[in-house]
Amino acid sequence: MKSNVPRLGSGVLGGETPIVTGLMVLLAGLPLVLSGYPIYILPQYMAFGIMAMSLGLLWGWVGILSFGQAAFFALGAYAMGLTMARTLPVNGAYLGLIAACVVGALVAAIAGYFLFKAGVRATYFVLATLALSIIVEQIAVSESELTGGWNGLYVDRMAVTVGSAIRIDLSSDAAAYYAVLPLMAALYLLLRWLQCGRFGKVLVGIRENEDRVKALGYDIALYKTAAFALSGAIAALAGAIYATHANFVSPSLGGVLFSTEVVVWVAIGGRSSLGGALIGGIAVASLSNFLSATSPEYWQLALGVIFVLVIIFFKDGLAGLVRRLGREMKRGTP
Amino acid sequence: MSIILETENLTKRFRGLVATEGIGFTLAEGEVRAIIGPNGAGKTTFLSMISGHLAPTLGRVVYKGIDVTAKPVEARARLGILRKFQTPSVFENLTAAENIELAVLRTDCPWHDRAMEVAKTLATIRLTDQSDLPAKFLSHGQRQWLEIGLLLAARGNLLLLDEPAAGMTAEETAATEALVNRLAAEHRLSIIIIEHDIGFVRQLGARVTVLHLGHVLAEGTFEEIAANSQVRDVYLGY
Repeated sequence: MKSNVPRLGSGVLGGETPIVTGLMVLLAGLPLVLSGYPIYILPQYMAFGIMAMSLGLLWGWVGILSFGQAAFFALGAYAMGLTMARTLPVNGAYLGLIAACVVGALVAAIAGYFLFKAGVRATYFVLATLALSIIVEQIAVSESELTGGWNGLYVDRMAVTVGSAIRIDLSSDAAAYYAVLPLMAALYLLLRWLQCGRFGKVLVGIRENEDRVKALGYDIALYKTAAFALSGAIAALAGAIYATHANFVSPSLGGVLFSTEVVVWVAIGGRSSLGGALIGGIAVASLSNFLSATSPEYWQLALGVIFVLVIIFFKDGLAGLVRRLGREMKRGTP
Repeated sequence: MSIILETENLTKRFRGLVATEGIGFTLAEGEVRAIIGPNGAGKTTFLSMISGHLAPTLGRVVYKGIDVTAKPVEARARLGILRKFQTPSVFENLTAAENIELAVLRTDCPWHDRAMEVAKTLATIRLTDQSDLPAKFLSHGQRQWLEIGLLLAARGNLLLLDEPAAGMTAEETAATEALVNRLAAEHRLSIIIIEHDIGFVRQLGARVTVLHLGHVLAEGTFEEIAANSQVRDVYLGY
C-alpha cells in the first residue's frame, strides 16, 4: 500500500525559512563589519520589524487590516517608560516588557471582543482601529502629568540581569543590538510556530471562508479576538523595545501617521508571509532613513511611488514576487 | 430506532411572505431522507432553521432531545449538526488535505492521529490522489465531495446536504449516491438531502418528504410519492 498520509500545511506556508535565516545571519554579522550609526539605529528598525509582524499576522493570516497598530506600539512604549521610572525590587525593564504585552493584549482584546461579537467587518473595523490610534494619541497628549504630553517621556536604556549576579547594561550600541536581534528572532519563531499550529490554520481558514469555518463549529469572534490580542501584545512589545532603545516616547508614536506607515511596510514586504512583513518593516524603515538623508525634500514622494508600484505590480508585495520567482525557477529546471 | 431530529410547528415568515408553515418533521438515527419540492417550497429555509442560519418565527428544533432553537450555527455544529451549502463552500486556496485538516482540528482528535484521520476521510470521499491539490483546481463534483468530507471529518452526526448532486455528471451523481448511503450505513450518520434531481432521489432509495408552499405535502417511499396524485400535480409532472 502506498503511503497515503497527505502532506499538511504546504499551501499555507511558503518557503520563506531560508530567506529569513539569511537575514538573521546577515544581521548577526553586521556589527563585525559596520559600526557607529547603523549599529545604533538598526535595533529600532528591528522593533519596527516586530511591529510589522504584528500587523502581518492580523492582515496576512486573518485578513483583518488594522490602522491602529501605532496605538498598541505607543501603549507599550509608555508602559515601558512608566514602569522603568519606578523604583522596584526587581528589574523594572522586565516588568515593563511584561506590562507592555499585557496592556497591548488587554486593550486589543476588549476592543476586539466588542467589535467582533457585533460582527464588525472589513472597512468598519479599519475605521474603529483608526479611532483607537487617535484616542491613544489624544490621551498621551492630555494626560501630560503622567506622560509628559507633547514634551514626551524619557526612558532609560534597560539592562539585562540574571538575579543579582549578572548585569549586562545595554547602553552600548553593540550590546543593545545583540539583545534586540535574538528577541526579534525568537518572536519570529514563536509566531511561525503559532502559524503552523491549530490557531494559525483556523485563522487562515477564517480569511479564506469565514462562513465555512463558522459552520464547522468554530467560534469566529473568539479566534479573531485572540488574533487581535496577540497582535496588540506584539505591537506593544515592539513599542517597549523601541522606547528603551530610543530613550524617548512621544504621543506621535500612537498617531495615525505611524499606523499608516506600518501598513505600507507590510504591503511592500508582503502580507501573506510573516518573513515578508518582518523584512518589509526593517527594509522600508532603513530605506526611509536613507532617502530622508539623501533627499530631504522628495523622500516621502519616492517612498509613495515605491508603494504604489508594488501595489500595482506585485499585489502580494516582495514576498509574492519572491514566491513567483521561485515557481518560475522550478519550472525552468527540468 | 431512536429519533435524532424533530421539528415542531417550524414556521418562517419573511414579513408577509410565508416560507415554511408549521412543519412537523422527524428523522430517525441513521436515516437518509430526501426533501423535494418545487422552487420556493421552503426547502432551503427549512434546512437553514435546522442548521441555525435562520431563526424560525415560530416552532422548535429538537436535536437528540435538546432544544437547539436558540443556539447559534457554531454551537449546533459542535453538537454534530453540519451543513453543506448549495454552492460548494470549501477553502479554495487550501489543498484538499488542508481543507479536511481544518475540520479535524475542530474535533478532539489527538495531534498524532490527525494526518491519519485526514487520509481516511480523503479516501472515503475518493480524493486521495488529489490531496495536495488546492480545492480551486478540483472539479465541481470533487468540490462537492470535499465539502461532504469536511462534515464527516468534523464528526457530524446529522448532515444537512443542500443539493449535493447539483451540476454533476451521471457518474458523479452515482458516486454521490453511493457516498451518501455509505455514510449512513458505515458511519451511522443521519442525513437530510435537498435535491432537485429526481433521478438522484430515486437512486438514493431513501424516504422522501415533499414540501409545497411551505407545507409538508406528502411523505413516504419514492414509489409511494411517485404514485401520489397530489404530488404529481404540483411537482413531478408525470
